[in-house]
Amino acid sequence: MFSRRAAALFAAALLFPALAAAQAWPTRPIHLVVPYAPGGPVDLSARLLAVPLQQALGQPVVVENKPGAGGNLGADFVAKSAADGHTLVMGAIATHAINPALYPNFPYDPIRDFRHVALIVQVPNVLVVNNDLPVDNVNEFIAYVKARPGKIDFASGSTGSTGHLAGELFKQVTGTDMVHVPYKGSAPATVDLLAGRVHLMFDNLASAAPNIRAGKLRALAVTTLSRSFFLDQIPTLDESGVKGFDLTTWWGVMAPGKTPDAVVDRLAAEIARAIEAPELKERLRAMGSDTPTVRTPAQFTAFVQHELATYGELVRRSGAKAD
Amino acid sequence: MDILNNLIIGFQVALTWTHLFYALVGVLLGTLIGVLPGIGPVATIAMLLPITFNLSPVAALIMLAGIYYGAQYGGSTTAILVNIPGESSSVVTCLDGYQMARQGRAGPALAVAALGSFFAGCVATLIIAVAAPPLAEVALKFGPSEYFSLMVFGLVAATVLAHGSLIKAIGMVVLGLLLGIIGTDVNSGVLRFTFDIPELSDGVGFVIVAMGMFGTAEIIANLELKDKREIFTSKVSHLYPSMADFKRSWGPVMRGTALGSFLGILPGGGALLASFGAYTLEKKLSRYPEQFGKGAIEGVAAPESANNAGAQTSFIPMLTLGIPSNAVMALMIGALMIQGIAPGPQVMNEKPQLFWGLIASMWVGNLMLVVLNLPLIGMWVKLLTVPYRYLYPSILVFMAIGVFSLSNNPFDVLVMAFFGVFGYICVKLECEPAPLILGFILGPLMEENLRRAMLLSRGDPFVFFQKPISLGFMIASAILLVLVALPAIRKKREEAFVEEAK
Amino acid sequence: MKIKSPKEFWSGAMFVGVGMFFLIWAATHYQMGTAVRMGPAYFPVVLGGLLAVLGVAVLLEGLALEGPAVPQFHFRPLILISAGCVAYGYLMKPLGLVGATAALVFISAYGGHEFKWKEVTILYIVLMAFSWLVFVKGLTLPFPVWPAAFE
Repeated sequence: MFSRRAAALFAAALLFPALAAAQAWPTRPIHLVVPYAPGGPVDLSARLLAVPLQQALGQPVVVENKPGAGGNLGADFVAKSAADGHTLVMGAIATHAINPALYPNFPYDPIRDFRHVALIVQVPNVLVVNNDLPVDNVNEFIAYVKARPGKIDFASGSTGSTGHLAGELFKQVTGTDMVHVPYKGSAPATVDLLAGRVHLMFDNLASAAPNIRAGKLRALAVTTLSRSFFLDQIPTLDESGVKGFDLTTWWGVMAPGKTPDAVVDRLAAEIARAIEAPELKERLRAMGSDTPTVRTPAQFTAFVQHELATYGELVRRSGAKAD
Repeated sequence: MDILNNLIIGFQVALTWTHLFYALVGVLLGTLIGVLPGIGPVATIAMLLPITFNLSPVAALIMLAGIYYGAQYGGSTTAILVNIPGESSSVVTCLDGYQMARQGRAGPALAVAALGSFFAGCVATLIIAVAAPPLAEVALKFGPSEYFSLMVFGLVAATVLAHGSLIKAIGMVVLGLLLGIIGTDVNSGVLRFTFDIPELSDGVGFVIVAMGMFGTAEIIANLELKDKREIFTSKVSHLYPSMADFKRSWGPVMRGTALGSFLGILPGGGALLASFGAYTLEKKLSRYPEQFGKGAIEGVAAPESANNAGAQTSFIPMLTLGIPSNAVMALMIGALMIQGIAPGPQVMNEKPQLFWGLIASMWVGNLMLVVLNLPLIGMWVKLLTVPYRYLYPSILVFMAIGVFSLSNNPFDVLVMAFFGVFGYICVKLECEPAPLILGFILGPLMEENLRRAMLLSRGDPFVFFQKPISLGFMIASAILLVLVALPAIRKKREEAFVEEAK
Repeated sequence: MKIKSPKEFWSGAMFVGVGMFFLIWAATHYQMGTAVRMGPAYFPVVLGGLLAVLGVAVLLEGLALEGPAVPQFHFRPLILISAGCVAYGYLMKPLGLVGATAALVFISAYGGHEFKWKEVTILYIVLMAFSWLVFVKGLTLPFPVWPAAFE
């Protein structure tokens, strides 16, 4: 018998396609696009997340690398994919806050073309200097730089990276003059920093940690408002006198802009459960990231909006461009 | 005897059944993906990462390292058999290895590649065990100006790769340098020659260019002649190298190992130069330079040893400084970091079992690879007897899959096809692809380091002559330039005389 | 003026063409900078110029010295092999591995000397099975296996 309930359900499905989609979702493998080449920290965390997510959702979660144009290519691909929750992207500070101001003819709107599902990783950058630099704290460092305008070099992994922008922000806030020396990734930059060919760098905390612990590089401050659990003896720039200095490298899962609420909410709940489970939590902490402060999709959207405004302004003022 | 004690610790770790098992899995998988063109160790290791979390850190690292050097072995197999370089280091192996295969000497080429790699692997492993920390200090001595001078030296040496016209070879190097410029400029962030195609913003992938110029172009050229394939296989003489082959190979293997071990230490792209450098050196030293490019066994022995030695010593910056020399090393660091271990200056003291276990397992892995690869030679050579009309579509399928998998983007396959056509034109015009590839690899590095050196020196061009290492390379380049130019000039004059005499 | 060595002449022409293209494009689109602070145009302009000069030298050689002719181009394998590869790339998404591999195998096999439907079909099935086993199942590459319409 064709029951009334079934008929009602059918009608509901017609009326509320989003609801039906959410109930059915996921119906096939989910592609989690990483807009970078395999092997980086974003890729690593995506592959870590895929394992528990796959178990929770009952469908394979396939990590797919689509590198290019500083991450824009992969993010754009997802922005223009079907909004059914089967194509997701690891959106990052680069693709959703920095690049829009950096690249001409930017292909997507980082707010409207995406649903911001869940923030996964937040890592501070750390101001590290070469051991031969005669400074022990941020104030001494600022005085040292001010005495040598245009003579101090700061390295970064690339133009428009968080390391670069942290340096530009530092210059603006402290009124110092330093020369930016871009590298191709933070590894070669670290070599020159260790050897003393450049003076300082705003490096990712986790990747700088071994050299800090071994005493080969001196850490002066982290760039976040609060200290990091990872190396909690390092003060923040804020408490060292550079008031309000706040910069965090972050990335998280996003979906195409028209993805229904039900899918976004379910996904956000599953991700939250996954990253708070001890197994994944432990591993993300090993990458220098504590449980994110941003917890719901709505908070995440507000967070991205805020970041977009901040870095857009910063990029424009620093004059960095990629045209 | 500290070293001895340490090595004993290492072997105690490496020779447990579990670790032997993971080393075997690693080298098997590495060989497989090395043989498959395009699928590189980076993608494979990335996919395996979640699995490694369930292993102990030592087991994980041993397996990942096995994949890495297994892929180097496997890559040379494809280069020799079908002229497809899957790794940057096997480009040079294509030059003479493939020619040897065409002469029915694929067996000796594969055997020399395997044995040379094994020897190089053993030596390099010993070097890591004895001298890793001081060598890491050497790596730190190389800054932008040193790298630039090294690249200049490499480019001058590149012209020796040519066996035809010198001036055309230089032209191809410059062409390669120009192609390498495509993409985002590191120093200013400006997109150059991307023509608003977002896929070009990170430049053209090396593997894609190499596969097009060598692989696709070779297939198109082969299809011109009917039944060419029969000539190809009918005279497979013997599977293993003769005494004469061994006599000619051991010198190149030793020199290749030395050169590769040194260049591998440099994290800024030194390893890329190793195989090119070793080939060049042998061609200059050889009594039969005219055989190079036409199937000289030295042309396989030297670059293969150099590349394997370099692959091993490139672990030094990672293990002692925590600095990855390439994408594979970066992944291994990532894998360890997830396990709560950060490779760096302290690993050697704090985790001796991990450090020395890895080193011992490298030797074990190399032994496994050579034992594994020698019997496989028969099978590979058999593969060449498959009629070409079956073989070439299969090669194309593997290349296309490999290239597509790089970034899951059809554009990459399009670019490969483009370079296939371009490579075919070059074959017709007798313009050689190898110098172009070297220029393509070195171009971006060279420009980046030149401009960085100038930025750091605030525009003083004399930096290249003030630092001793940099100065040394500049002088060596000048000497080499004269050495290369002299015979060419002499030849031209002789040719001119012959013309007149007619 | 007579082209004595067509191989040299056309190589030279190619070098001049490519070199001039890079030179002019860079000079008109990017900032030159100075030798002290090089702009993004500096390297391509210098190298493009160098390539053009080398090209002229090769070209002149082609006019002065006797040399062999450029061997004939065979357009059938050239076009079909390239087309097969391109088809593979662009059919992967709509038609999946099954469709893309079919396109590549059949088109490229048609570029050879003998084309037998039966043989090529068997080859296709073998390659397809191998690709599926090794790449999709073994290495877990994120390829769609079937055409998008069937998923």
